[in-house]
Amino acid sequence: MLKHLYDTDCVTWSPQGKLFQVEYAMEAVKQGSICLGLKSNDHVVLCSLKRQPSELAGYQEKQFKIDDHMAIAIAGLTADARVLCKYMRTECLEYKYTYESHHPVGRLVFKVAEKSQHKTQSGAKRPYGVGLLVAGIDPNGVHLFETCPSGNYYEYKCQAIGSRSQAARTYFESWFHLFQKSNLEQLILHGLSAIKKAIMEDEELNEKNVEVGILGKNQKFTHLNAQELKNYIAQLETFNPNSQIQQE
Amino acid sequence: MIFNSEISGQYEHTTSPVVTGGSVIALVYNGGVLVGTDTLCSYGSMAAFKNVQKIAQISQNTIYVSSGEFSDFQQVVKELAKIDRSALQYDDGVHPSPKDYGNYLARLSYKKRCKINPLYLQNVIAGFHNNDRYLALVDIYGTYLESKFITTGFASYFCKAIISNYWNENCSLDQAKQVIRECFKVLFCRDCRAHDVIQLAYVDAQGTHIEEPERVETKWDFNGFKQRANEKLHTQ
Repeated sequence: MLKHLYDTDCVTWSPQGKLFQVEYAMEAVKQGSICLGLKSNDHVVLCSLKRQPSELAGYQEKQFKIDDHMAIAIAGLTADARVLCKYMRTECLEYKYTYESHHPVGRLVFKVAEKSQHKTQSGAKRPYGVGLLVAGIDPNGVHLFETCPSGNYYEYKCQAIGSRSQAARTYFESWFHLFQKSNLEQLILHGLSAIKKAIMEDEELNEKNVEVGILGKNQKFTHLNAQELKNYIAQLETFNPNSQIQQE
Repeated sequence: MIFNSEISGQYEHTTSPVVTGGSVIALVYNGGVLVGTDTLCSYGSMAAFKNVQKIAQISQNTIYVSSGEFSDFQQVVKELAKIDRSALQYDDGVHPSPKDYGNYLARLSYKKRCKINPLYLQNVIAGFHNNDRYLALVDIYGTYLESKFITTGFASYFCKAIISNYWNENCSLDQAKQVIRECFKVLFCRDCRAHDVIQLAYVDAQGTHIEEPERVETKWDFNGFKQRANEKLHTQ
């Protein structure tokens, strides 16, 4: 398949019905470092692995608060993520100004997806090179969405995106049936365990390169601070999901 | 809301209302919110349209009523219904709550007041959402007030005493209805722009119920009236 004949811009289909530019944009997401999200009946937890460009640099933040009831974790081009983040924050603020209530989560994800789709149907534009995991809580319940550069969005019980995310997804497939009834602590430990599966052999999880964000039905979005992260990472040694099954 | 005047640049400001609706009385009761208006639209001092439904159902659990310029009422009904309908396009089953409508209307009223072209209305939004009763007043300036009882127009002067004596927020629906009927009885006697046919509507956990118009009880066969009519004239 002579890809290069059909991959110059978004307005060219390939004979197999693919838009290569959009697919290449999805590759950019896969190059970003891993971030994952999982939800229970009352909480959503976002975990991400932060990259450090060099020893002299700080770690790149991957999670952003959109509103008290909503947050995103990003994988891909951080600059594109900032644009979407600003858009989502503005929409939430305007909704709050007009209606004095929180923007319904699915609706905002729909708006982001529409915006992303726009970029895939124009000759002069390129798709956003970032995938978002949107965690939010609204009167409809607890939500976790994934958005793609293609303009698609999906709702998940748990999902991981970014590099080596398949390992985390495999972990989820084994244990996701426990998440719904998990308490917050168990959820965080599951998230960290999943991230642990996805790190390189010579890397280790510590409170500097991991970011954990929590949303609850009665809890605004917060990050775990360094001390709490240390405690949870220490608990990982003895964390056994099997014991959760015995409890039920 | 974009008006043709705003597009053309030629502003026309509402300086006084033409066709007006009368007082609105709204009370919360144990399990819902009750709203009452009369069915009259006045053309100045003429009782021009005597059988008007002034209670609008905006969504499954929200009612909107107002007193003031009736054409503005009709326009606001369209605007609020538009919000409810446009919620359908997102396919997520989420509909605005009564509070969302109240706040939206407050922002809209304030915007128009700032352009010195107000919606000439005292608006009342009543609803029942998440087991909570909701009742709010948005006035001509865009002031937003949530309350357990609301009166607009002349009812604010004549009916507050009746309400405070005979109503409390946990009374039954029938008690609340009686209070409103009594209030409109007094209004018909004292407010020149009032009418004796009223309409009640209530929202509760089962949804909105708009009742048929009913005539308030009035009594005219007082002995005093009869006697005076038969009195001999002073000149005789």
